[in-house]
Amino acid sequence: MNQSRSLSAAGVLGAALLFAVPAQAQQVYKIGVAAGLTGYAAAVDRAWRDGLEVAVDYVNGKGGVLGRKLQLVVEDNKSEPQEAVTVYRKMISSDKVDIFISGCVSAGNFAAAPLVVRAGIPMVLCSILPPQPEQVKWAFSFLAPPRFEVEKRYEYLKANTQIRKVGVLHDPSPYANLQKGIAEKIAPDFGIEVPVVEQYKQDDADFSPQISKMNAAGAKAVIKIGLGGSTLTTAKNIKQLGLDMLLLGSIDDLAVFKPTGETLGAQFMFVAAPAQVYEALPDGALKAEIGRFLPLWRAKHGERDPFWGGKAWDAVMVTMAAIEKANSVEGAKVRDAIETISGFQGTGGVYNFSPTVHQGITTNPFFMATMVGGKVQVK
Amino acid sequence: MPDPAYLVQILVNGLGVGCIYGLIGIGFCVIYNASGIVNFAQGAFVMLGGMAAHVLYTWGLPLPVAGVLAVLMVAALGVVIERLVVRPLWDRNATLFVIILATLAVQIVIERATLILVGDQPKSLPVFTDLPPIRIAGVAVGYQFLWIVGTSLVLIVLLVLFFQRTLVGRAMRACSINREAAALQGIPVSRMLALAFALSAGLGAIAGVLLTPTQFTAFNVGTPFAISGFIAAIVGGFGRPFGAFLGGIALGLAQAIAVVAFGSGLKNVAALSVLLVFLFFRPSGILGTAK
Repeated sequence: MNQSRSLSAAGVLGAALLFAVPAQAQQVYKIGVAAGLTGYAAAVDRAWRDGLEVAVDYVNGKGGVLGRKLQLVVEDNKSEPQEAVTVYRKMISSDKVDIFISGCVSAGNFAAAPLVVRAGIPMVLCSILPPQPEQVKWAFSFLAPPRFEVEKRYEYLKANTQIRKVGVLHDPSPYANLQKGIAEKIAPDFGIEVPVVEQYKQDDADFSPQISKMNAAGAKAVIKIGLGGSTLTTAKNIKQLGLDMLLLGSIDDLAVFKPTGETLGAQFMFVAAPAQVYEALPDGALKAEIGRFLPLWRAKHGERDPFWGGKAWDAVMVTMAAIEKANSVEGAKVRDAIETISGFQGTGGVYNFSPTVHQGITTNPFFMATMVGGKVQVK
Repeated sequence: MPDPAYLVQILVNGLGVGCIYGLIGIGFCVIYNASGIVNFAQGAFVMLGGMAAHVLYTWGLPLPVAGVLAVLMVAALGVVIERLVVRPLWDRNATLFVIILATLAVQIVIERATLILVGDQPKSLPVFTDLPPIRIAGVAVGYQFLWIVGTSLVLIVLLVLFFQRTLVGRAMRACSINREAAALQGIPVSRMLALAFALSAGLGAIAGVLLTPTQFTAFNVGTPFAISGFIAAIVGGFGRPFGAFLGGIALGLAQAIAVVAFGSGLKNVAALSVLLVFLFFRPSGILGTAK
């Protein structure tokens, strides 16, 4: 009895081993994702995660990469740097991920960068690049340089309007502060004056005092820097004050632009990403790439804004291209290969990585757009 | 010296926001008077007022109907919260701290439930009267501002009449002065508590419906309003509904002036510093505390 039991145990063990071998051969390529699924970055990072899922399903549907299926390991960093370090550490030591394709919480990605670099894992990021050169070596950013959003608006004002005085209205986030600094610095290059720079807090009820101040200083347009419903509040305040100022919004979700456009009509313009103006794009490589992604996105998420999801798609596609080029999934080789990816058409623009350029978007991919009857129209 | 029209404009803006703070502050006072509870779910009522009106409006109801229904629904929710959360604790003689903490929990539950039900994107309502603002000597006065100020004043008058002229209003005041004595006089104290929650939730919702057309609403806009309303109630003299209204206007004006004088980064710092200094000299608030 005893013997037969141990025999059957051995049988089970043997069977387990038998199954274990092919399971090991059918390896997976693990993508670690530290994203702010809750907290201030939730709107962007949830879209980032959802875009990754669409891309991973697509790649797996085509058989994966180098015979491996992709597997996402998503951890919520709660938009906090401390949490980010914890989840990065977990994904490095216990999940043993092959690469990170993480969300837009810059401070979190910065805080974890030393750990990730020590582990020799490439970091593909939705956020800006970490500050240290040895960290930048392993990090690749899919974000457009913040300068582009400001330049697009100034270019528009210079080319299409008589407006040469603007007010800058920004929130206190690091990214908005960075853009504000740029807006002040480059204004003279476009012959534009910035007499008033005002801050607001995302949860303030009323920006009329700030807007009145800009109006009193002769500003004819508001350069709004910052995400979310505050753009709608700004539009409502401008309308209540009966001002004819233009409101020029920064990159954001279409769900914000729609009600803002309904409020201010043609007085409201915004910086739009290619995926947000897909229907208006001319035929070409950009439209074709977005056309590959958009049906898959819409099948799962309907009319939700495809911009950040598309960026995540780009991050996966660039990574896949690098793995195929390196013909390896080893961290260091993939890192080296990403540096050679240039002229890569994504949904968010053309990515030109090189050993010295780790922020892939190098030419301004944005458009100025308005909302007409709930639809985006390129200016 | 800035343009005087511009200064008046700033004050007009501050007055509008101040009325909203005031209405929220009154909500705090009504519940506090009936029970001694500080209801931290007050901000959630404001958010729900605007949000429910938005949802009903997008379902195709006319705006006035959507607004009134939203207020009634939130008032009913106030009663539900009183029955399900506050009353059981109250009947078991829980300390006030426990009940106050429970209202904070209610606030979080309502926020999260709203996030799940309607998502995190900003929503809004159209203005009640879609006309360009009235211009008086260079100062723009929007119609929504008139709605806010007008409705607030009407509500204040109605509240005064309610508390002074009606039996129920007097009964509520009796509860706020001495609950036990009120009970001995045959006043149903617990029913007064439910009524206080309904009234306070309804006032919060009215503030939300009035305010949303001038800005946006989202699941998380309630807390900042609760804080401002709470400050308004304290500045006015806690427990004094009319004082809370004056406190709200003082806070709204102080914030608006602070933007001009110190820049918007220091708006709250400056406004709250002024109010703190005021409270040093008059700790019981503008009208003095109720008890």
